This record gives sequence, C-alpha cells and structure tokens, in this order.
Amino acid sequence: MGLDQQVIAALPELGHGLLMTLVLTVLASMVSVVMGQLGCFLQLRRAWIWRFIGRLYVSMMRGTPAIVQLFVVFFTLPRLGLGGQPMLAAVVAIGLNSGAYVAEILRVNRSLVTRGQLEAARTLGLSRALTWWYVINPQVMRASLPMLVNEFTILLKTTPLASVVALTELTYAGQIVIARTYDATQVLLLVAAGYLLIALPLISAARRLEAKRRLA
Amino acid sequence: MDWQAIATSLPSLGDGLIATLQLCAVAALCSLLWGGLMAWMLMRASPFWLKILNLYSGLTLALPLLVVIYLLYFVLPEYDITLSSPVVGVLALTLYYAPYIAQVIRAAIAALPQGQWEACRVLGLSRSEQLRDVVLPQTLPQMLSPLVGLTIGLIKDSALLSIVSVQEFMYAAKQAISDTYAPLEIYLTVALCYWLLNSLIDWLARCLESRMTRYRRGLQH
Repeated sequence: MGLDQQVIAALPELGHGLLMTLVLTVLASMVSVVMGQLGCFLQLRRAWIWRFIGRLYVSMMRGTPAIVQLFVVFFTLPRLGLGGQPMLAAVVAIGLNSGAYVAEILRVNRSLVTRGQLEAARTLGLSRALTWWYVINPQVMRASLPMLVNEFTILLKTTPLASVVALTELTYAGQIVIARTYDATQVLLLVAAGYLLIALPLISAARRLEAKRRLA
Repeated sequence: MDWQAIATSLPSLGDGLIATLQLCAVAALCSLLWGGLMAWMLMRASPFWLKILNLYSGLTLALPLLVVIYLLYFVLPEYDITLSSPVVGVLALTLYYAPYIAQVIRAAIAALPQGQWEACRVLGLSRSEQLRDVVLPQTLPQMLSPLVGLTIGLIKDSALLSIVSVQEFMYAAKQAISDTYAPLEIYLTVALCYWLLNSLIDWLARCLESRMTRYRRGLQH
C-alpha cells in the first residue's frame, strides 16, 4: 500500500503536529510534576485546611473528565485576560489533571522516608518546606521515577484533547489533512504511528526503570 | 455567574446524564465480558496467539483513545462497515478497556496459591463449583478496587464520544451552551455532576469492599 500523493504532500504538516504534541507533552509534564509536588506537600501538612485543599484538588481532578477540565480552563482564561491561547489552556488543563495522579504517586512513596529522618531534619532546624525540598523530595522522586514515566505516557494520551480547542497538535493536524484529502485511513494510521513513536520509548523506559528499581 | 443559564439547561443536561449512564453501563458490561474472555485466552493461549493479544494490549497502552475512536469512526466506513455513532462509542470503549480488565482478572487469579486448584481437584469440585465457591470469593475483593477504578476511567473517557456526536452528557452540554451562551457555567455544572457521580461510585465500592473482606478481619481478631 503506497501513500497517496496528497498525503505525502501533507507529511510536513503532520510532522509539525507531532512536534506540537511533543512540546505540549513536555510542558504539561513540567506543570504536572510541580502540581503533584504541591498536592502531595499540602496533603502532608498538619493543619486540616491544607490537607483538605490537597485532597479536594486530587479528588476533583480524578473525578472529572479531562475534556471537561480543558473546557473549564479554556473558558476561565479569558476572564483572567489570557484568552485566545489554546496552547496555554491545554498545558494548564492537562498539567493540572496529571498533577493529581503525580500527587498520589508521590504520596504512596512518601512512606519510604523514615520517621528518624524527619526528626533529624527538625533537630537540624530545617523548616517544613526545606525538609520537603532537601530530605523527602529527592528520595521520593527517585523511587517514583518509573511510575512518573508511566504517568507521562498517560499524559501523552490525553494531549489529543487539545484538538477540541483548535490547537494544531498531531490529531488536529490529521483532521485538517483528512478534510482536504478525504483519505482517513492513511492519515489516521500515520497519526497513530506518530503517537507510537513517542509512547513506545516512554513505555520501554518505564519498564527498564522499574526492573532496575526492583534489583536495587 | 449566570445562574439563569444553569437553571434553564438543567432538564436537558439531566437527559444527557442518563444517556451517559446507559452508554457507560453497556460499555462497562461489554468490556467486562471481552476482558474476561481475554483473561481466559491469556492463560491458555498458544505462544502465537499470546503474541497477538500482547500486541493488541500494547497498542491500547500506547494509543490515545481519541485516535482509536477516529480510527473506528472514519476507517470502518471506508470498508463499507457503517455503524451508528453510539455503537462506535461502545465498541471503542470496549476495545480500549478490555485489555486492562483482562490484566486485572489474570493477576487476581494468578495470585491464588497453586494448592487451591489441587484441593479443588481432590475434592472433585466441578468447574462451575470451583469458580463459584473457591475462586470468585477470593479474587473478587482483590479485583473490585482496580475494576472500579477502570469503570470510573471509562465514565470519564465516555465524554470524548461527544466529539463524534454520540448524544451523551457532554453533547447535551454543548447543545445547552449553544442555547445559553454560558460555557463556563455549563461546564462547571457538568464537572460537578461527573465528580459527584464518580465519588458516589468510589464510595459504594469502598463499602462493598469492606463487606467482602469482613472474613479477613474476623480471622485476625
């Protein structure tokens, strides 16, 4: 099965879409890790109000569809004077969504840090934020790495949602090409191949990291 | 906040929510059946079929659901298979979630000690008796929590089907927005409904799980 002439002509367009998907994945992953750390840190605070805010964030993000979250962010941004930026909306929405899952991953691995370490940190006069940053976070992040890479694969799979706010990432680029060439099969298979191109290295990296962690 | 817009669109949103519930019930049932069948095949398939099944599971791990939906929605008609959009929706969700369900079921059954099967054989239990009296009572509590997690995932992902105009909750929301021009208010209402629904399911599952594992607590004390 050779590629249709029109589809070949559209390859640069799809390549640009792939690049945008990659940029969106990387930026959203960064937001996700920051929000995950914040969410986890809040849940470990002693005052109930912080814990409540942390739990509420995680519960709301995990209990609602990502597409609804994207629309809520997309229609909230204009009220903050940041309208008409689909990339910003997608990065914020997908990052916030994934951040809740990252917070849960970190929280599970939090038990690795023993009580004695926390007491030592307090004895040394570290504040709670500094204890988090210098004592808890490095250990928890290292232990969570395989699960985090896995989470980024899942994040990648939510990025096509950005096509509903007209961000020209891979899926939307594919739709535009289909509208012009009427060749859905070839274009969609190319789009699928594009996602495999990013996802498969991520999946195998997660497996290798997991195997390494089991050995350690 | 435009409360008026929310109030006027509540009835149509309610219809949409019911449609989503029906759609998800059918999709969850189908994916449970197909997932159960897959688990059974995974446990006794030849290496060749195992490879095929693993390839299929790998694809669902790597491909976004939206791409799967588009593939079914646009590619099948090119081969003269025209399905209505709700059918495509249920098919996409089933194909996407069954491999995950199969893994959960297989892991729970694999966790049973070998001696249990041998004991069943010694006692001369039939296949259905084994399943009903020995396997399910032990594996169900283990499977419940991940299966409920997958069901909640399925409910959330069903919102994507509005993109190929399946008339469910998100679709009703879009209609309500074109009537009222109040997107933020409507979407916040929609988010609240999904959140309440999923929290309710989560809570019910917790109650059920603690009932199912009562026998373990009984052993401990």
